[in-house]
Amino acid sequence: MRNLFFQQRIALTAFVFLSAIIFGAYYLFSITLSNTSFACGVTLLIFIFILSSYQLRKKLPFLSIGNTSTWLHFHIFVGLLSSVLFLLHIKMRIPDGLFEFILFLTYSTVFLSGVIGWILSRSVPYRLLSRGEEVIFERIPIHRRTIHNKVKVLIFDKPNPDLGSAIPDFYHKHLQSFFSGPCNQMRHLLHSKRHRHQLSQRFSALMPYLNEQEQTVLHQLEEQVQLKDDLDYQYALQATMKLWLFVHIPLTYSLIIFALFHTIAVCAFAGTIG
Amino acid sequence: MTDDTVDALLKSPPFSLIDPTGFKRSLPFRDILMNDARIVGFDQGDIIVRRGDWGNSAFFILSGNVCVELERGETSLPEEILGRRTAKRKSLWESFAQLWRNHREPEVREVASTGTSKPFLNSRSTHGGTRIYLQEVSTVLDKYRTARLDSGHWFGELAALGRTSRVATVFSEGVSQHLEIRWQGIRDILRYDQNGGLKRYIEDVFRERALAAFLRTDPLFENCQEELMQRIVDQVEFHTFGNYDSSKPFKELKNSEQTKTDAGEPVIIQEGELPSGIIMIRSGLARISQRHYNGRRTTGYLSPGQIFCFDEIQAGVKSSAPVACQAQLSAIGHLNAVLVPTSLVEEIIEWNTSHEPTESRKNKQTVRTAGSQSVKIKNDILLSQLVDRHYVQGTSLMVIDLDRCTRCDDCVRACATAHDNNPRFVRHGPVLNQYMIPNSCLHCVDPICMIECPTGAIHRDLAQGDIVINEQTCIGCAQCASNCPFDAIRMVDIRDTKGNLIVDSKTHSPLTQATKCDLCIDQRGGPACERACPHDALFRVDMHDATKVEKVFTS
Repeated sequence: MRNLFFQQRIALTAFVFLSAIIFGAYYLFSITLSNTSFACGVTLLIFIFILSSYQLRKKLPFLSIGNTSTWLHFHIFVGLLSSVLFLLHIKMRIPDGLFEFILFLTYSTVFLSGVIGWILSRSVPYRLLSRGEEVIFERIPIHRRTIHNKVKVLIFDKPNPDLGSAIPDFYHKHLQSFFSGPCNQMRHLLHSKRHRHQLSQRFSALMPYLNEQEQTVLHQLEEQVQLKDDLDYQYALQATMKLWLFVHIPLTYSLIIFALFHTIAVCAFAGTIG
Repeated sequence: MTDDTVDALLKSPPFSLIDPTGFKRSLPFRDILMNDARIVGFDQGDIIVRRGDWGNSAFFILSGNVCVELERGETSLPEEILGRRTAKRKSLWESFAQLWRNHREPEVREVASTGTSKPFLNSRSTHGGTRIYLQEVSTVLDKYRTARLDSGHWFGELAALGRTSRVATVFSEGVSQHLEIRWQGIRDILRYDQNGGLKRYIEDVFRERALAAFLRTDPLFENCQEELMQRIVDQVEFHTFGNYDSSKPFKELKNSEQTKTDAGEPVIIQEGELPSGIIMIRSGLARISQRHYNGRRTTGYLSPGQIFCFDEIQAGVKSSAPVACQAQLSAIGHLNAVLVPTSLVEEIIEWNTSHEPTESRKNKQTVRTAGSQSVKIKNDILLSQLVDRHYVQGTSLMVIDLDRCTRCDDCVRACATAHDNNPRFVRHGPVLNQYMIPNSCLHCVDPICMIECPTGAIHRDLAQGDIVINEQTCIGCAQCASNCPFDAIRMVDIRDTKGNLIVDSKTHSPLTQATKCDLCIDQRGGPACERACPHDALFRVDMHDATKVEKVFTS
């Protein structure tokens, strides 16, 4: 842990130092009346290529070209540094041209999704471990179906005639939608347990109207509700961990295409602008 | 083996000295010889056992002579003349080409290439089998230090019984004939022979040939005088604990997760008992535990080469009064240990104290302690779980820190890329604290998966010692998969290059083969899973490397 803090401190120092160099170089360039935007833009494009090379590294896991974790640290570092360059490139204002605005939006979304992903990858693993059983994301629907089938057997397979219609009615009214698919995703993300309390209250409210055997079934149902809720919690968090990548990676490809087009256009018109 | 051959063997020593009455009716001594032994012949220069190879059988010389290579390290017989192939690693181009050369279907086998691979170097067909041979025996004898063994001697028994690699190369000098016995046969003879002749012989051989070198692996005995070492070798006691058919207790652990820690483990020395000497582990693993309220708490474990009770004896020498053991030592599974009597240990301590300058003594003591220290983890519960579930067997245990793992499955994808689109592990397994131990091969120190492999397809890689499966010789019997208590070996349907299932020509049922993690043995840069983890969450841990274990499990 001490080592981690040390690494973070070094990274922060390097970031501040390199940002200062970028600002200094920008200032020196500007006082020589050089085209600062062009210099910034070219450096930014190089940065974008360096950033996208991380994905290439992930596609070549069998090569001994450094650990992916080292590449990720470098990716984050260069990503943060690119934001400094980007702000200087757009001169701290929102571009007014349509294409430039789209480019601005694309970069901002890629950058923000990256930052969000970074925060999520640091916070979600700990939360995933705190509730429910460890499950593989792709297997969650199978687990969910197993729970649902168990619930249906508990409610509808009645070997005992003493079981009335109270529980089936309760299931149709309050539990059917809960068990049929993922629920309360936003609440899970916000770490809220309100829905659990609500359901628990409904269970308690029904309890006085049930006979002994029905009460046993209801207790078993409560256990299944807890299992399903934990599964939903795992689903919500793991899905979020995958979702941000679905934003970050495709938009990176778009960004590369837009940035290349932007560079070609700038170079093409550079002669006329002088 | 024919009846006549067995009859002839039973009439001559050492087999005539074995008492057949102690054997079970269902497994008489005669049947052991009939089923677990065979007679093999070798010509001049034929290599019988090769240094580094995995041993499953022992040899008894019936006629002729053999030469045993005596040197170790750089002066020993070079790999080339032993006909050893070097492990093939993918070139840079081949590594890249995996991106498009990997088959769409998983587990494709090049059927046409099976059996057409290059023959071993220096090999010839003789005595009904292919033998690797030394081309110029006389030159080898002149150039390298060897010892001659003549008829009536055993060799290869230590590797076969200890499930370790052969420590020396043995080749035939002239024409020789041997009785080769599988380790199962030797085990049964050792178990049921009332006279104990073979057992004594094996112990004497170990005492004579290997004990001194084994003891010197510990810094305590490293600089021991020859005279004292000889007395130690003469007086050392051999002890065996636990069941040798170790797959049974390993399998039992699956069903006994809720049982008491160390329940049923044979106790080597009890807490509070006066030590009769230091215990040095030869093979197997031992648990160190201490009384905790009404139960026992695991405080560490010992692997081969580590010692126990030294601190107590040293304290006894200092205080001039015997000191009792501070902890209990028990065997996990099958364990072989040697006991060096207290009087001799005291002599070594006193000699070391009187003959070494203070400064170097300090250093020496530090080195000794480091070498024999048990592996310790601060979290007792975690340590206990790792020992109870036998994860301490692992030399390359996969551990995922779930506090860091984002469940991105990059490790699984990397494994699939490196293994023809079929990952060799499942990112799922028991969670101990925040550590997940996925269903991936541990590369056990005592790999019980290898015990019953009929073709030797599952073997230790000679270069690195990793446990790998040879696709060319795996017959898909699934013995290894059923023996593995960690569910790390999977039977998979195999396909031809067109993607069709390969089927048995008679029954038309799909053929299966065993697959498991091979630590990316043919890839550049080692295990792809570990290098592919972007969050430093996946580790490969040698559970006998105290520093690494402590680093991973206390992060």
